[in-house]
Amino acid sequence: MHYTDDDLILYYYGESSRRAAIDEHLVTCGTCSTAYQEIVSTLALVGHPEVPERDERYGLEVWQRIRHKLPVQEPPFWMAWLKPALAAAVVLAIATAFVSGRFWPAQQTPAPQSAAGDDLAAAARERVLSAAIGDHLEQSGRVLLDFVNSGGDKVDVSDQQLTVADLVDTNRLYRHAAERAGDETVASVLDELERTLLEIANGPSTLTPAELEAVRARLDAAALLFRVRVLSDELHEREIAPAQPRKTT
Amino acid sequence: MTVSDVPATVLARARKGDSEAFRELVEQHSRSAFRLAYRMTRNEQDAEDVVQESFLRAYRHLGRFEARSHFGTWLYRIVANCAVEHVRTRLSRQNRAPMEPIDNLAPPSDSPGPDRLAESSNVRERVDAALDGLSPLERAAFTLRHDEGRSIDEIGRTLGLGKSAAKHAVFRAVKKLRVELSGIRDKGLGIGA
Repeated sequence: MHYTDDDLILYYYGESSRRAAIDEHLVTCGTCSTAYQEIVSTLALVGHPEVPERDERYGLEVWQRIRHKLPVQEPPFWMAWLKPALAAAVVLAIATAFVSGRFWPAQQTPAPQSAAGDDLAAAARERVLSAAIGDHLEQSGRVLLDFVNSGGDKVDVSDQQLTVADLVDTNRLYRHAAERAGDETVASVLDELERTLLEIANGPSTLTPAELEAVRARLDAAALLFRVRVLSDELHEREIAPAQPRKTT
Repeated sequence: MTVSDVPATVLARARKGDSEAFRELVEQHSRSAFRLAYRMTRNEQDAEDVVQESFLRAYRHLGRFEARSHFGTWLYRIVANCAVEHVRTRLSRQNRAPMEPIDNLAPPSDSPGPDRLAESSNVRERVDAALDGLSPLERAAFTLRHDEGRSIDEIGRTLGLGKSAAKHAVFRAVKKLRVELSGIRDKGLGIGA
């Protein structure tokens, strides 16, 4: 009976559970002893790299190099979960209000005696909705970007899938609202975004680099990230601009 | 100041986006990050790049760091995984460029004495080439076991692998090195780097 190379490698690194037995065996077995000596001399040849010294100022030097490149911090896990949940609640309220016909000006039939006041209120509500959709698109864009930038032999996307699943619910409510308002531009981007989010949420939690590359390619082909960003900016502009009649393209 | 002396308040401030607090973390952990990055890449410039990228990544994800964990351990995982990606990118670049096969590297001379330094350098080149022949994960797992003295369990946790996958990554690495270095090993030219 001989020990395998795997056994001998574990033995070399002191992680074998059969240390005493292998000790004895190597004394009597020429085959295993030769194999073990080859492993020992190979690893001696590899050696250990001598790490160049870095003095006490090194930390400060690293800081000087990165201080102007610090990225935006991502929200903590609980916030990533809570924000979509809160957003969904707000969206539900807004969508309910919209469905009851009190939102987009195009669908209003104001009473003559309070037309001016109602117009102002409707414009304010529209700006709130634009801001909410803009925030949703911005967050979705960040999540998608994070997703496509994942790397590794086996990419574990289970964390992103949880966030994406929340975004799908929120997205659906906004899409319904935009469709009912006849805002085709917003509805179209939200529709495409929803299909992509669904694909990610319902897909495998571990992707191979090839599968991830396929998702990237589809996103690139549809220019989805770009369109999401442009629409998000536009909606945020609407939020701060004076109320204007809504364009329908 | 040792790594374990990082006050919780500094971490809490850094997690809220306080860049001055993050500076303290960078100053305290840079040297250990560099040591790991160098061992994993065996290249000074690559190690510098990995250190910078790791801290930028740590800052970005600091909100997700669990306060009860040890920042040094968390950063260690980031540096290790960043080094894996860095090595992968480097290998990918090398694969696109025409590469000299390991067997074409000049074999070490049989003559001892004044040529010893040149031989050592040659052996080191062959060892580096053999290490470059490992997959990034094999190389990372091997480095963590061989140079960092991490257990198979710790390697799995650091690289996000199961115990079995971590163990087999180390096995594959050692077996590949054994085959690639058989020529010079048999000539008894072992050197300690």
